[in-house]
Amino acid sequence: MSDSATDSVAAPTLHTLEFRGTGGEYFRIWIVNLVLTIITLGIYGAWAKVRTLRYFRGNTFLADHPFDYHASPVRILIGRIIALVLLLGYSISARVHPYAAVAWGILLLFALPWLVVSSLRFNARNTSYRNVRFNFVGSLGGAAYAYILWPFLAVITLLTLWPLAHRARDYFYINNHTFGGKAFFTKFSGWSIYRIYLLGIAMLFGLVLLAVPVAILVLLPLGLLKTDPKTMGALLVGPIALLYLAFLYAIYAIPIVVRTMSINLALGNTTLDGRHELRSTLSPLRMAWIVLSNAFLTLITVGFYYPWSRVRLARYEAAHLSVLATTDLDEFTSEAIATQGAIGEEIASFLDLGIGL
Amino acid sequence: MNLEGVYFFPHTSRPVHAFASLSPERNLIIVDAAGTVVAQAPFKAVVVSQRLGRLRRRLKLPDAGHFETSDNDGVDAMLHQAGRLRSGGLIDRLERSVKWVVVALLLAVLSVYLLVAYGFPAAAVWLARETPASVATIISEQTLQTLDRLALSPSKLKPIQMQKARTLFARVSTLGARGAAGYRLLFRHGGVVGPNALSLPDGTVVMTDELYVLVQRDDELEGVFGHEIAHADRRHGLQMLYEGSLIPAAIVLVTGDPSQLGQIAAALPAILIETSYSRRFEQQADDDSAVMLKRIGGDPAALGEFLERMDRKLCGQKGCSASWLGSHPATADRAARLRNESGRSPNGGQTRRPAPHG
Repeated sequence: MSDSATDSVAAPTLHTLEFRGTGGEYFRIWIVNLVLTIITLGIYGAWAKVRTLRYFRGNTFLADHPFDYHASPVRILIGRIIALVLLLGYSISARVHPYAAVAWGILLLFALPWLVVSSLRFNARNTSYRNVRFNFVGSLGGAAYAYILWPFLAVITLLTLWPLAHRARDYFYINNHTFGGKAFFTKFSGWSIYRIYLLGIAMLFGLVLLAVPVAILVLLPLGLLKTDPKTMGALLVGPIALLYLAFLYAIYAIPIVVRTMSINLALGNTTLDGRHELRSTLSPLRMAWIVLSNAFLTLITVGFYYPWSRVRLARYEAAHLSVLATTDLDEFTSEAIATQGAIGEEIASFLDLGIGL
Repeated sequence: MNLEGVYFFPHTSRPVHAFASLSPERNLIIVDAAGTVVAQAPFKAVVVSQRLGRLRRRLKLPDAGHFETSDNDGVDAMLHQAGRLRSGGLIDRLERSVKWVVVALLLAVLSVYLLVAYGFPAAAVWLARETPASVATIISEQTLQTLDRLALSPSKLKPIQMQKARTLFARVSTLGARGAAGYRLLFRHGGVVGPNALSLPDGTVVMTDELYVLVQRDDELEGVFGHEIAHADRRHGLQMLYEGSLIPAAIVLVTGDPSQLGQIAAALPAILIETSYSRRFEQQADDDSAVMLKRIGGDPAALGEFLERMDRKLCGQKGCSASWLGSHPATADRAARLRNESGRSPNGGQTRRPAPHG
């Protein structure tokens, strides 16, 4: 941990994020949130969301100082009510007239840039570190460029441009975030992101090509035993189930591997104020293991492992993100930022637009 | 009372090691390590963040300077001293009390159970009833098109066989809630689907050739038709559709987490619930079919016998082991229930003569 009293012209220091929350502690918060949300028919959900985000940000430490979350539950509740009314309007009108769904789809396309920008802005402005707020300064045009034009180009080129669309989205996300008025900035070559996607495709092909010989190698010796069909069936069940699980695991792991590598690429090339460098050293295979084993454990515990799974992921992610700071990070000053409504944020989260890196 | 922590001057990120205390005039006084006063403000104007786990408390001064400390109990004592400890601490006390967490756990399990066992089915019944006929027609047409494309092919039955089936169908469908005109019978070659009959929300009943050739008596086919018509009348298909989408929606609303993880976690209860629903639906349709058969003078037990024959045909002599994935109640149970229905009926014994088929 750094000592804040050291000289600010010292050599750059590497500060690694640290998550100090525990599964047991979050479980209590989660279960109380869950019950209060159910018995208030969802109204408490807005307070639950704030408590959850405060817990996760407030337990994430950089250089011995925590992040903080400031959103007002009442704003979130208002945002949720409006989002819910809109979604109900959509599902009712779509049921009455099938073309209404198309109309809503077009409306959503036009609203998308606004949803993206207001959701990112809401989250950034309500996050602080050492008394200084983050902000998001992306424009509607920028959002349309990254979230509509690039995906459209990628689709009409049969997804061959998809990695560049991904890069445009990362640029929009990172390069428009600021901390204390100082900009985050990332830049990386098109080839570096193509390489990640090509690796993903190679893994997919490799998996399919590998599946056949492996299946033969495992099943053939069993077939050569020439036992009677009944015993044979019993012998085969185990290996086949294992092979199937291994294959399923690999299929789900590939997208996580690609995503982790692209996060490492985008964040690893990010600087703050042109001086402080971000480092992201998430291991793609380890991330896949954490995410998939979390999903499995949550599934077999009917959801009760969920709080531990979130803490486990947060702890790993924090431990592999760091800042190479050229100063003590105490030179930042807050800019005047107006607070804003949560409507866009809540619609975006209801629709699961997946805004982020 | 002296709280140790860190003070940030307004709008700066430079931490200053500091101590906070409450003066007799109820002012918050913040001094640095050297004892110099760095900030002060009337305590009632200070915004104190709510207690949450072991999170540092944030005391925000009106000039946007802020003091933070890990001394949660000290902050609570200060609030108490200033007469400000209100309901804010209630949630935190719930979270920290083992007793209340256990109560919450039980309440969560109970309320989820009540919602899933009674809330969602009731909502699905209501939604299914309120769905306009035009929508039911669209859904039915889409489903039929998909089935035709993926599995079914044109029927290979002879016209005389179709005529026979239509006559029996007309007889049963007059007893349906929509009257004979509200239902239609379609013939298809099942292929991979095998012997089967299914009903669509708009009153269309599809029967596969493979099912028809297994039928030995008229009552059996009438029983099958009655069962499918009951499915359509009770809008079981739409109920399944709504129940299937209500559960994930509710999970997202409550957990606020529409991620992959949440969706995977939502899949298991959804599958379990769906199978239990379909069990209930089959039983209801069997009961309705029995009532219809009795009204046209048929034998309700015939459907049970037919189901058992279909089972033997599909699973060999010893029958299928238990209820396969639980999606249908064990055939033996259904047959027994139908036989029971037949025995109770005053004219249940008047079984008509077996009619040759094929």
